[in-house]
Amino acid sequence: MSIAERLPDPIRAQFEQEPLFSAKSDLRNNGHFGEQWMAFTEQEITLWESDGLQLLKIIMKDLKEARAVNGVGGGTLLADTGQGPVVLARYTAALSSLFGFAAKLLTAIAKGEDRPAVSEKEFPRYCPTCDNPLSEGTQVCPICKNNGKVIARMLKYAKPYKLQMIGAGFLLVLTTLIELIPPYLTKVMIDDVLQPKDMGSTLLMIVAGLGVTSLILTVMQTVRGLIGVWVGSKLMGDLRKDIYSSLMRLSLAFFDRRQTSQFIGRVNSDSEAMRQFMTDGVIWVSGESLRVIAIFVIMFSLDWKLTLFALLPMPFMVIVSMKLWPKIGRRWYQQWRSIFRLNVLVGDSLQGVRVVKAFGQEATEMSRYSEANREVVRHNIRIEGLWQGMFPLFSFIAGLGTLLIWYNGGRSVLQDELQLGTLMALIAYLTMLFGPLQWVSQMINWASNALSAADRVFEIMDTPSEVPDVRDPVPIGKIKGEVAFDKVTYGYEKHHPVIKDINLRVKPGEMIGLVGHSGAGKSTFINMICRFYDTDEGSISIDGVDLRRISQSDLRKQIGVVLQETFLFDGTIAENIAYSKPDATPVDIMRAAKIANAHDFIVRLPDGYDTRVGERGHRLSGGEKQRVSIARAIIHDPRILILDEATASVDTETERQIQEAITRLIEGRTTFAIAHRLSTLRNADRLVVLERGKIVEVGTHEELLERKGAYHKLVEAQQELSKIKGVEG
Amino acid sequence: MNADKDKYDITIADPDRLIFSRGPGGVFQGIVNGKPYDELIVYRAFPFIYTTQFISIRDAKGEELCIVEDIAELDEESLKEIERELQFRYFLPRVTRVDSVKQKSDLWLWELQTNLGPTRLAMRNLHEHLQFPSGNRIILTDINGKRCEIADWKELDGHSRNQLTDVV
Repeated sequence: MSIAERLPDPIRAQFEQEPLFSAKSDLRNNGHFGEQWMAFTEQEITLWESDGLQLLKIIMKDLKEARAVNGVGGGTLLADTGQGPVVLARYTAALSSLFGFAAKLLTAIAKGEDRPAVSEKEFPRYCPTCDNPLSEGTQVCPICKNNGKVIARMLKYAKPYKLQMIGAGFLLVLTTLIELIPPYLTKVMIDDVLQPKDMGSTLLMIVAGLGVTSLILTVMQTVRGLIGVWVGSKLMGDLRKDIYSSLMRLSLAFFDRRQTSQFIGRVNSDSEAMRQFMTDGVIWVSGESLRVIAIFVIMFSLDWKLTLFALLPMPFMVIVSMKLWPKIGRRWYQQWRSIFRLNVLVGDSLQGVRVVKAFGQEATEMSRYSEANREVVRHNIRIEGLWQGMFPLFSFIAGLGTLLIWYNGGRSVLQDELQLGTLMALIAYLTMLFGPLQWVSQMINWASNALSAADRVFEIMDTPSEVPDVRDPVPIGKIKGEVAFDKVTYGYEKHHPVIKDINLRVKPGEMIGLVGHSGAGKSTFINMICRFYDTDEGSISIDGVDLRRISQSDLRKQIGVVLQETFLFDGTIAENIAYSKPDATPVDIMRAAKIANAHDFIVRLPDGYDTRVGERGHRLSGGEKQRVSIARAIIHDPRILILDEATASVDTETERQIQEAITRLIEGRTTFAIAHRLSTLRNADRLVVLERGKIVEVGTHEELLERKGAYHKLVEAQQELSKIKGVEG
Repeated sequence: MNADKDKYDITIADPDRLIFSRGPGGVFQGIVNGKPYDELIVYRAFPFIYTTQFISIRDAKGEELCIVEDIAELDEESLKEIERELQFRYFLPRVTRVDSVKQKSDLWLWELQTNLGPTRLAMRNLHEHLQFPSGNRIILTDINGKRCEIADWKELDGHSRNQLTDVV
């Protein structure tokens, strides 16, 4: 088996057989950007320059171990040899997985262990046509896919409203054509009525004609406007719904890395920008271009020579527009980003408003805000200023064309080569022509705003979920609750595993207590069971079925969680308890609350089960919230239960009540519990002691105490602490 | 009791009792308080504000041996090696010129000249890949996690500033 990037010919020529592994690093040994090659066979490791010059050779027999030491933004592959550690390659973060794999493979060879299997993920992927990085899980190169596709994709949202849009378009064509009639009627009036001073029925007819056209125009514009509003609102609703559902679909890992309050604004403002372009924008573009063509046809038929003068400023305007187009797009994005930063700031300080107040830092927050606010103002002025500067310029240049026509046309009229009415009509058409031309700049504005909004929206929609559902999931029905970890390794950042090589078999109905220092990987451990994240290596199975083959909704039906941070939704207590089972009867709800030791305090509340909790509602104490969330887990009736520090930060009496509730809750269910106080885990069937992501001890409380290992130390440390507390108290 | 107290105190190193060098295999090593280590790892405690101060020196297992208050107090040879090592571990090339910033479809491409040679960054968007730690400093991170730093974008040449005006 060979795992290789193709070696350059000068290097390849020096190998007798295909090397086991070869890879190009993107840094030279002195830390500068550049290429260097590493390759190894069963016998030796070699480093090369691209031109075939050998830099280093290590005999495989000398190798004890290889390590990928990750720094910040890059890393180093080290080989431990009999003569001390040797640097094999330096690389940027882009190649961390590749060299991480190389290290594992080398170590396996050196120690004669099973060689790791290579997965697609280890190799950085680049677009075959343009050499830019491809993101995980996608096949389309974002560069080779062009802007046209973004527009096409955006317009797809208009598809369901095809009929209405066509209707609006048809009305638009009609209005455009009808708008062209009045100048022509004016021409007839001047040439046939006013100048010959021929007072007949013609004047009345023309005036009536003018009146009728303007009436028809008004009606049609109203109808078109109504259709526009209707389609627009519907479109916007569809867009918002899609954005929100793609957000809900994304895995927890996506939100871990981002501040969540930013999305509130994004869902609304980005969909609005897209809607504006699609309804107003598209209709305008098609309508105005049609109008331009029609006007030119009429003008040319009236007097083609004069019309040419009107065309003179056009190339200039087109060039300016083309030049400004990218700039405007960037400035829109810049403006958006400054608002984005402002929103993040507000979201942050409002979420932490207790801390702000407690430390009396309102003034600091205000000054942070006003600084960000200044940026928004600055960018606002930049984008609006650009646009405001462009608009009059366009008008002025367009006006130059009119001046030319006035001068040349006026001369022709004086020399009797042209009728006055035709000149007037030409001027009128010309003014109408510059309307759409000026709109070009507005259109640029809209389109670039919409395009950058669409980019951001589609980016969210295209982000693959890191925990995808399989196509045909295994139906699991009611599970027994057997959980097995098989060589599980996972890290929030791939090369920094938080839990390593975990093996554990849990029998149905067993209670497992997870113990360890903070940062030992306890919470990650239970996150893996919920499948908030997928394992990097190894697998987790429930009743023998790999988690990845179970649909997530099925899985979540079987798992109940009581977390340290109890989150109650905006709604009544009853709604919160029945969150996972909306069809629960009032008796079900009360029964669950009773088991959770929550019934009594809830009934005593003035509004009972109808008490509003959540962001603006009645404020429950920490212990009360905790019991409500236990009731929520009870009504869910899961086979597997997860308790994460369920009794942290409550007083002893409340803890006793919660503890009681939990004891009732865990009966007959497979339970994983993390607790701050080790004493609360006494009932656990087995305790699992984690240290730096690895299982170091497994056994009952008594067994582990006897062993005098890591658990013993933890217990002792806690006793020490409670003694100190006792003295303080 | 004494040993316990030390465990929770920061050990500031005596610069005279530190010697850093580079091993034959190219690995950073040294003698700390008279004890030789054939592999040492350096950490910046404040990677953004104090790049050459408060450097945590750790052994291969990651246990902290001491903190160097300011590497300028070290002897010449040690200073040279620790500077190099910091550069290796904190791979953050300093941008000397911005050749171009282009948006192609939904990817932003940066062509840069840095103190460590020319490079190219690709970003999916700007709002998640640009950081402004303070003042005119910008940290650029690309899709794959490769990072570059612009120490002060207003100090760059005219061409670079032009490229940046509508971006930062």
